[in-house]
Formats: sequence, C-alpha cells, structure tokens
Amino acid sequence: MKQRITIDPITRIEGHLRVDVQLDGGAVSDAWVSATMFRGLETILRGRDPREAWLIAQRICGVCTTVHAIASVRAVEDALKLPIPPNAQFIRNLILILHALRDHAVHFYQLSALDWVDVEQAAKADPARAASLSESHASWTRNSSTEMRAARNRLAAHLTSGQMGLFANGYWGHPQMHLEPAASLAILSHYMQAFEFHRKASQVVAMLGGKTPHIQNLTVGGVANAINLDGESALGMESLESMRALIDEVTEFIREVYFADACLVAGSYPEWFDIGKGMDLYLSVPDLPNGSAANGFDLPGGSIHGFDAAPHSVPHSQASFQDAVSEDTVHAYYHGADALPPWRGETIPELATWDEEKKYSWVKAARYHGQPAEVGPLAAVLIGYDQGHALTRKWTSIALERVSSVAGRRIGLSHLRSTMGRHLARAIRAAMLAELASKHWRRLFENLSRGDVATHNEPHMPTGEIRGVGLHEAPRGALSHWVVIDKGMTRNYQAVVPSTWNASPRDKSGVRGPYEEALVGTPIADPERPLEVLRTIHSFDPCMACACHAFDAAGRPITTVKVL
Amino acid sequence: MKPILIAGIGNVLRGDDGFGPLAVQTLAARHNFGPEIEIADLGTPGLELAGFLSCRRAVLLIDCICAEEPAGTTRIFNREDILAQQVPARSGSHEPSIAEALFALQLAGCAPAIVTLIGVAGHSFKFGDAMSDALLRAVDPTMELACDWLAQLKDTLPLN
Repeated sequence: MKQRITIDPITRIEGHLRVDVQLDGGAVSDAWVSATMFRGLETILRGRDPREAWLIAQRICGVCTTVHAIASVRAVEDALKLPIPPNAQFIRNLILILHALRDHAVHFYQLSALDWVDVEQAAKADPARAASLSESHASWTRNSSTEMRAARNRLAAHLTSGQMGLFANGYWGHPQMHLEPAASLAILSHYMQAFEFHRKASQVVAMLGGKTPHIQNLTVGGVANAINLDGESALGMESLESMRALIDEVTEFIREVYFADACLVAGSYPEWFDIGKGMDLYLSVPDLPNGSAANGFDLPGGSIHGFDAAPHSVPHSQASFQDAVSEDTVHAYYHGADALPPWRGETIPELATWDEEKKYSWVKAARYHGQPAEVGPLAAVLIGYDQGHALTRKWTSIALERVSSVAGRRIGLSHLRSTMGRHLARAIRAAMLAELASKHWRRLFENLSRGDVATHNEPHMPTGEIRGVGLHEAPRGALSHWVVIDKGMTRNYQAVVPSTWNASPRDKSGVRGPYEEALVGTPIADPERPLEVLRTIHSFDPCMACACHAFDAAGRPITTVKVL
Repeated sequence: MKPILIAGIGNVLRGDDGFGPLAVQTLAARHNFGPEIEIADLGTPGLELAGFLSCRRAVLLIDCICAEEPAGTTRIFNREDILAQQVPARSGSHEPSIAEALFALQLAGCAPAIVTLIGVAGHSFKFGDAMSDALLRAVDPTMELACDWLAQLKDTLPLN
C-alpha cells in the first residue's frame, strides 16, 4: 500500500526543514527534502569592503559563527594570494577545533540522543547498573552510582512535573527504541553534564577570539591578537597555561564520555549500520594548515567516487575543487535554470508553491562534477581512511572494535556508510580533533617561545578584478565561501554550506540529494510516528539556519505529521 | 563564570531582530558594571543558548518579539511565562527556543534562579534591513528596565 507522510518541521535541528516521504510496503520508496526559508547574505555583502565580509558572514547563523568567519577571511586571502603567519594559523586552528568539539557534543546529546534513548525507560533504570555499564566503557569520575541516581531523580521529577518541555515530541515506547534502560540513563546523565563541557570549550574560543559567539580577532592577513608572553592582558604564558588546562578537560570529556557513549549507542543498534546509506560520492576539504604551505594540512581532504566498486580517493587541489562545484536551481525557489559556478552564482528568489515536480526547496542543488555529494564527518573519515591518514585510521579502528564488541558482530569500515555510521564518524572526528587541539596548542606555544610574535600580514587591494575561495572542513562538512572583488569592493559573494550539499533538492536531471537518497529504503514501523525518518535526517546534523533563512512566524511552529 | 548575565539575543543582519545585541552594547557603553555582571551579545545561538545560561544566579535576556502591540512596545516575561511558552517568538532562526534551553538546564540542575526576558515588539525582520525608528526609540526605555531589574536583584539576591 502506498502512503505519503509529510513532517513539517523536523524537530531538534537548527533551523527549519520539511520532509515528505512516499511509503511503499512499509519502507520509504521516495523522498523530498524542503527547506522553507530564504537566506540573503550574499545580497548584503555586495558593494561592501571585502575586509569586513567575515564580520558580517559570521552573523548568518548563530550556531556556526566561527565557521563562516574563517571561510570568509580565507576566501579574501585566497583572492589576494596573501599568506598568513604561523601564529595566526595556530590560533585560528585552535578556535576551529574547540568550536567543532563543542558542536559535535551538542549535536550528540541535545539534538540526536533522544532518537535512541527512551527517557521514560531511563527514569526507571537501575543507577548501579548504569554506573557499572559506563565504568566498563570509560574512565570518568562522574560515572558513579550516586551521579546516576541523582540524574534519574531529576529525570523522574521532570517527567512527573507535567511540563514535558524538551520531551514533548519524543516517540517514547516506540518499537524501535530498544536501548537498555541503564544505558539510556547513563547517556542522559552525560547529557546533563555536557553543559559544563560546553562552557569550557567556549571559554577557550573566547580567550582567543575575544568573545563567543562571534569571534572578533580575525583580520584579512592573520589575527589581531595582542601577544606579550609576560603580560596579563594580552595572550601570554598565563593565558596559554589556563587554555591548556581547559583543552585537557575538554579532551577528557570527548574521549571518556562522548566517544564512549557514541560507541555504546552504535553497538546497541547495529541494524542501523544497514540503513540510510545514501550517495556513493563523498567530498571533504583539507583543513588545519600546519604552519607553512610546505607543511600542508593536518586533516586531508578529497573525494571518493564509486565507493561500491573500489574506493578510489582523489586528493583534490584547490583549483580542481573550484572548477568542479556548481549550483542548480531547477527545483529550488530561485530564478534561473542553469547550473552556475558559485562565482557567477545568483540569488534571485522566485516564489512558487510546493510542487515536487517543479520547485520545492529554498536550498540550491550543489553539485560536484555535476553529481550530488555527501559532505560531513562520514565523508572526511572515509576519505582520510582511504588516503592512509594515520590519525583517522587510529580512531576509526578503536571505534569499530568497540562497537563490534558491544554489538556482538563485526562492524567494518563499509558499515560506516549508514545512519549510525554518520554518528560514529562524528565521534571519530571529535576524538581526532581533541588530539589535534593539544598538538596545535603546542605548536603555538613553541613558536611564541622561539620569539616569533608575528600575527598579521598587511593586505593590499589591487584595482582590478580578483577572485577567491575560502575552504573549511566545518563540523557539518565541506564549507566554501566564494568572493569576486572588483576595485576593492565585493562584487559577488556566495556561500556553499555543508547543508546545501546534504539537504540539496533534485537537480535538472532529477537526481535526488543526499538526505533524500539516504531516506530511500528506510523501513517505517509506524507511519503516524516516523521516528526512523528523524534518525536518518538527524544523522546528518542539519543546520538549516545558514543553508537558507527564516521567514517570520508568529508563534511556535508545531510539528505536524500528515499521513495521506 | 560571572553569576549575573545580561544578554541580547537576535540577528543584527535582520532589521529589528538586532535590537537585543544593540541594547546590550548600549548598556555596556553607558554603565560600569561590577565584576559579578557579564554583558553579552549572544546572537542567535539556538540550543547553544543553554550552555551560556548554565550555572548563573540570574539572567536577563533582551530579545525582539512578534507582538500585536505597536513596534517598540516593551513587555516583561518571567520564568513561568517563558516555560509556558507565552513569549510570542518572532522567527524560526533561533529555534530551539529559550524555553527549551531552560527546560534542559532545569533537567540538568543548573538553571538560573532568576530568569527575566524583556521583549520588544518588532516590525520588520527582513535580511539586510536597517532597524526601524520605533525600535531605536525603545533603547532608552529598555536601558531603564534593565537597570531597574538589576537594582531589584541586588535587593533580593545575596551575591556571595
């Protein structure tokens, strides 16, 4: 029997997303993903000084502020062919890493854990069992049965208060919720502890960036941090030492709590390694420059085509990346039908009613060599692994071994191409990034100790036209900002954000985007409560606030699930 | 971690939505606050808002709302109003909302004891628009409300 389900909006994501799925014989046979918002950043930046673009671009989204600041400043530096000093690289890298670690943990606990954890079961769990279960997976001082009992009591009080709040839209008691109650309690206790971790990670970003959200220390050509090793008000020994202590605490939380919990959930739902596969083209960009052009990057980038046959990874240069990207608006609410490269991109809204055959989304269809590509931690892990990147291989092996031991069956690299694989890949990347935080802190410390305090190279705007692209492997995947500068002014500006790749609608050939493709084949137990759709969409960590932008709405949107 | 937070919320690129950030910047420029008070422009932090509010003693949020009243009208909401979702949120751009952040913090046992929101009715939230005059005129009355809140707080909340 065929059925159509519309979920509008998808809850627990940043921003607004609508999903329509066609059900056939208890599984999804087709899907349409619509972003119901419009973003106008490009229009604001035209005609302005490109040196201030990053300050404006980071206001596009309140969640990924640093991410857009960095990609924007890199785009202008690329146009000017302006290198930045090593200190500036290390300072930016530390900001990026700490932002990403905070972002990944917030996604796991606050935005996606409730897809796998049944809060009503957790409120009845045995605290001693929750403690021993956690302690068997990790070494963390706050895994005691006292902690677990306190968490259970708070949870029970919250559930009986009548104000369901956060838990109002959960699918409790759903047949697909089968995590052991004690494991659910352990994860919810960490959900509560995550706020302290969030503060510590933010503190490092604020110490380097001046404030958070919206860092203030960037400048085209480097950073504007004042450095004085003996001083207290500038970046010096004292602040570096407190930063190191914070990085150590953040690293401990990532490894012993988040990574451990992600492995526990993944191993408890091994069937979700066979659901939500998606595209066979993956894309990531290199990041964390290592001091000089000759030293390259600490995180590799590239693309993998045709993974099913034999993984074949192409480490793209920036030039080949630039030539491969286009955006098509055949099914998006914009004027124009040609697939345009971002430098020539247009953002002219063309209002239309939702029509799956015509236009149905505010997200453009981003394409790589004309093909839809999945971006994000999964892409980065598959590409890094294939290229033999040691740190990727190390943490992927640890994760797969742990998950296999919980699941009682072998979970291998190819299983990562799935809904659960995206969650696990995010945890793998977080463990890698935590290790790199210490490394880049040390590089900064050593460079400053050697007496190099340079932070900035002066930009000089030519009078003619120049173009640049700024790449950043953001928490949600490959981000690129594209700028055309003419007579010192921004003439065109486009941001191709990770959710543009993943939440892309169909293109002119009718080929589905990654969210849509990943939903196809997903079994749905109860069409009135389509938890499985949420699981796959959440596995991508959608952040629609910058893929598109909000229209005003009086009052709160309530999710409606419409079954036809 | 400073025990008192006065935070502006909103997107400075979207017309009247920039009111919260403008209000706290003005507040910081006009007054000298003690070491126990943090003034912050939080932009549109989504659920990350919870992290910024956790373990504070008292929080005052200044935000632009979608209300029936003329633009620039100020309204005060307390914790119960927020939790009962009586605040007429005006956009989806920082969902999940303030209410959800507070629920999460209550669950975690680290919610602020006092939470107040000054909501200022907005008129236009278009990307790239300037702030409307009515909202610019609301800055001074909002400063007074914030100072009153602080004065009242110091009478009721022992800070040590």
